[in-house]
Amino acid sequence: MGVKSFSRARAIHLMLVYTGGCNGCDIEIVNSVLSPKFDAEQYKVFLTWNPREADILVVTGPVTTLNRKPLEKIYEAIPEPKLVVAAGSCALMGGVYKNIHGDIPSEEIEGPVDKIIPVDAKVPGCAVRPQDVLSGVISILPKLIKSK
Amino acid sequence: MDDKIPNVNVIETEEPMGTVHPAALEPYRLRLFVEDEIVQEAEITIGVNHRGVERIMEGLPVEKANALTEKICGICSNSHIWNSCRTGELALGIEIPERASYIRIIMEELERLHSHFLYLAHGCEVLSHETFSMRIFYLRETVMELLAMIGGNRVQYGCSVLGGVRPRCDLDDNRIERLKIGMDKVEKDLTDFIKRFTSDDILMSRITGIGIIPQKQALKLAVTGPSLRATGIAKDLRTEMKEYEPFDFNVVTQPDGDVKSNLMVRALESFESIKIIRQAIKNIPEGEVTITDYEMFNTDIVDSYIEVPRGILYHSYALEDGRVRHCIIRTPSMSNIGAMQYACIGDQITDAQLCIVQCDPCFTCTDRAIEIIRR
Repeated sequence: MGVKSFSRARAIHLMLVYTGGCNGCDIEIVNSVLSPKFDAEQYKVFLTWNPREADILVVTGPVTTLNRKPLEKIYEAIPEPKLVVAAGSCALMGGVYKNIHGDIPSEEIEGPVDKIIPVDAKVPGCAVRPQDVLSGVISILPKLIKSK
Repeated sequence: MDDKIPNVNVIETEEPMGTVHPAALEPYRLRLFVEDEIVQEAEITIGVNHRGVERIMEGLPVEKANALTEKICGICSNSHIWNSCRTGELALGIEIPERASYIRIIMEELERLHSHFLYLAHGCEVLSHETFSMRIFYLRETVMELLAMIGGNRVQYGCSVLGGVRPRCDLDDNRIERLKIGMDKVEKDLTDFIKRFTSDDILMSRITGIGIIPQKQALKLAVTGPSLRATGIAKDLRTEMKEYEPFDFNVVTQPDGDVKSNLMVRALESFESIKIIRQAIKNIPEGEVTITDYEMFNTDIVDSYIEVPRGILYHSYALEDGRVRHCIIRTPSMSNIGAMQYACIGDQITDAQLCIVQCDPCFTCTDRAIEIIRR
């Protein structure tokens, strides 16, 4: 293990961005990092709100029209290497808001997150459980640590 | 203190924040007009979260629409589904069984506990006191486990249905026993927390006298919920609702209207919720939890107001052929936005986020009907 990977494995920062979900997933993700019960910090994963500091971007919500540009800008602001975790059924497929009445797409929703930015891990659930968020984040850590 | 009127002529610096900002958890836009680091005027713009839930609801069968209201907010999901079912029942003249009403109240008070704990944790996090924040998050886990036990999910429980509650949310002896143990634990831990919290001089100096909303202004801005009670006005819609008639509880008020009052009113209100849950467990009647023999007919617009953790929630429905023809929802944060803007004025710019958090905002559920004018 080189110096880069060694140091990177000890300070992984996770940034959370809300793109118009119902707040349920967001609270559960903050809960999974801050709450002493789930405690992502035992895997050296810390919560940050600064894109320049972040390594992993966790996206929730079905990306509303007005939230698309901020999401793209935040993704660009994160330095390489970066990974994206989409959490919750809204981020994966648009959830209940995707379609109005059958298959008429809603104008408010820009679609799932992987239409807009590349996604490395997908965490299903409505709302996501903190255990699932932890396993989703931890499963992609080797990818981040090994990358040049 | 009654008139914090800004002098607009001297404003020279504008400080925009948002829509996604490190200090704010939810996406909204905040503009602060600053003079010598003192906020002179604040402006909150919402709308980035609009998903059009009402539009999806219109035309759906009323049972499906009820289930969809839960997806409006992930924090007060039970309040939405309860009020939605309540509106439908008022419209169709359905009398729900008494046991169902008790179970709904137990769920609502558990939700009030978790919402207030989340507020306290968020407030402590904004105050950069992460130890308190983690302590409250740990306390909240007890409540979340009880909610998951009854509802089957940690966030959206789907407890109420038209005509009662879902049979899977019925309380048996094992669940009642776990509720009792959980309430004892929450009460003990919360008492310890409040003792520690109020004896912390540094924290107290940081929150006393910040973000004051005077009583007169609170009435003028139509503030609802605990934010109103923190200014000294004992107004709680629960005292007028017929569901809460069998229960004995006090309306908690605090005198000052600053951040400390807001934090304390929610912390002390949690004890009242514990009291209500204990009474409900003790006196819960036997019998059915849901009735299915109701008739559908066309109704005019019917509306219903209930007291939810953050204020007063309003739903209105009109039904046609068993489907929703018209629907309006107004969430409590909508009426508290004026107070959020007002609280910022006259304080340091570093306290602006704290002043907004003190009104317990939930912008994801506030982004409701938006009229888009295309030219």
